[in-house]
Amino acid sequence: MASRVSLKSKGKSSVGKVSKGMDDKSTTQCLKEWSNWALKKAKVITHYGFIPLVIIIGMNSEPKPQLYQLLAPV
Amino acid sequence: MAGMVPPGTAMLGEASAAASAKKINDVGKKVDFMNLPCPIPYEELHREALMSLKPELFEGMRFDFTKGLNQKFSLSHSVFMGPMELPSQSAETIKIPTAHYEFGANFIDPKLMLIGRVLTDGRLNARVKCDLTDDLTLKANAQLTNEPHMSHAMFNFDFKGKDYRTQLQLGNGALFGASYIQSVTPHLSLGGEVFWAGQHRKSGLGYAGRYETDKMVATGQVASTGMVALSYVQKVSEKVSLATDFMYNYMSRDVTASVGYDYILRQARLRGKIDSNGCAAAFLEERLNMGLNFILSAELDHKKKDYKFGFGLTIG
Repeated sequence: MASRVSLKSKGKSSVGKVSKGMDDKSTTQCLKEWSNWALKKAKVITHYGFIPLVIIIGMNSEPKPQLYQLLAPV
Repeated sequence: MAGMVPPGTAMLGEASAAASAKKINDVGKKVDFMNLPCPIPYEELHREALMSLKPELFEGMRFDFTKGLNQKFSLSHSVFMGPMELPSQSAETIKIPTAHYEFGANFIDPKLMLIGRVLTDGRLNARVKCDLTDDLTLKANAQLTNEPHMSHAMFNFDFKGKDYRTQLQLGNGALFGASYIQSVTPHLSLGGEVFWAGQHRKSGLGYAGRYETDKMVATGQVASTGMVALSYVQKVSEKVSLATDFMYNYMSRDVTASVGYDYILRQARLRGKIDSNGCAAAFLEERLNMGLNFILSAELDHKKKDYKFGFGLTIG
């Protein structure tokens, strides 16, 4: 009887520890996953959007160039 | 007795008095240690030597066209056809003929500079320089590709003080670096840097010094990665400067010394160098007309038997 009780309590405490450990891991893992996701999105946005951003900033600077000047070779 | 000067030494006395007066006048422009000039940035320490000894040599044909739409905004189109060298471990150089077209957009303002270049295979090369305040500057440099894990980015924060500069660098792959350079006298500036690369688990420390006058610049740099680099540039006249460079790696026992010249003439700029690895190179930029430049590049590597010749035209 005594051995069974002790086994049960051991089982409970170990289960308790495991769940607490998983909580700790998940916050840091969450942070890592979020930052990875954010960096990936930032990379895609920069890759596709940097040159259009430079063109938009340039077309809005003074004196404003005309749209046809973007494509014409002269 | 102490105050009596023998008459024979009167003339000598005058001459020496005049000489010492002149010396005092020269020294009398005492060095004002509170008003030292701001040193040049740590990464540009070897600037003059690099300009003379490491021109942008290329092989093949290059055509660059820059069209300005505005004082600040311009678009650039660039075509390159020629063999590209692949890094190989063996002694033979592997070259693959490639051709690519590169489109670029530049916005250059005193406070903000944006330069972007995109190639036909989707690679983007972006550079940003932004003056956040009078003293703080943010610089970013990125090479982005479509292939995973092949992109690099680096962010630099530069702070400029009265007679010092500091820089903090953050790069992808957990790369951290910091550098500091200080003007010690009006001609001499000393600095140091420290970096840590997380991915390769490497860290390093380096020191550098630069002594410059109107006619010459001498720099030295030592790093804990084993690199010792010394350079000396002498400005012989307005049109001619000579440069020499010595690089020694005390870990791998690699030594390279090179000597070069830089002629800045009215219509042309000619740079040439010869190396202790048996490599001779020359680079000519000739101004044919207003805005039209003709470029010739040659690099002869006698040790590896690799000869590279290139020509190109730059418009705008």
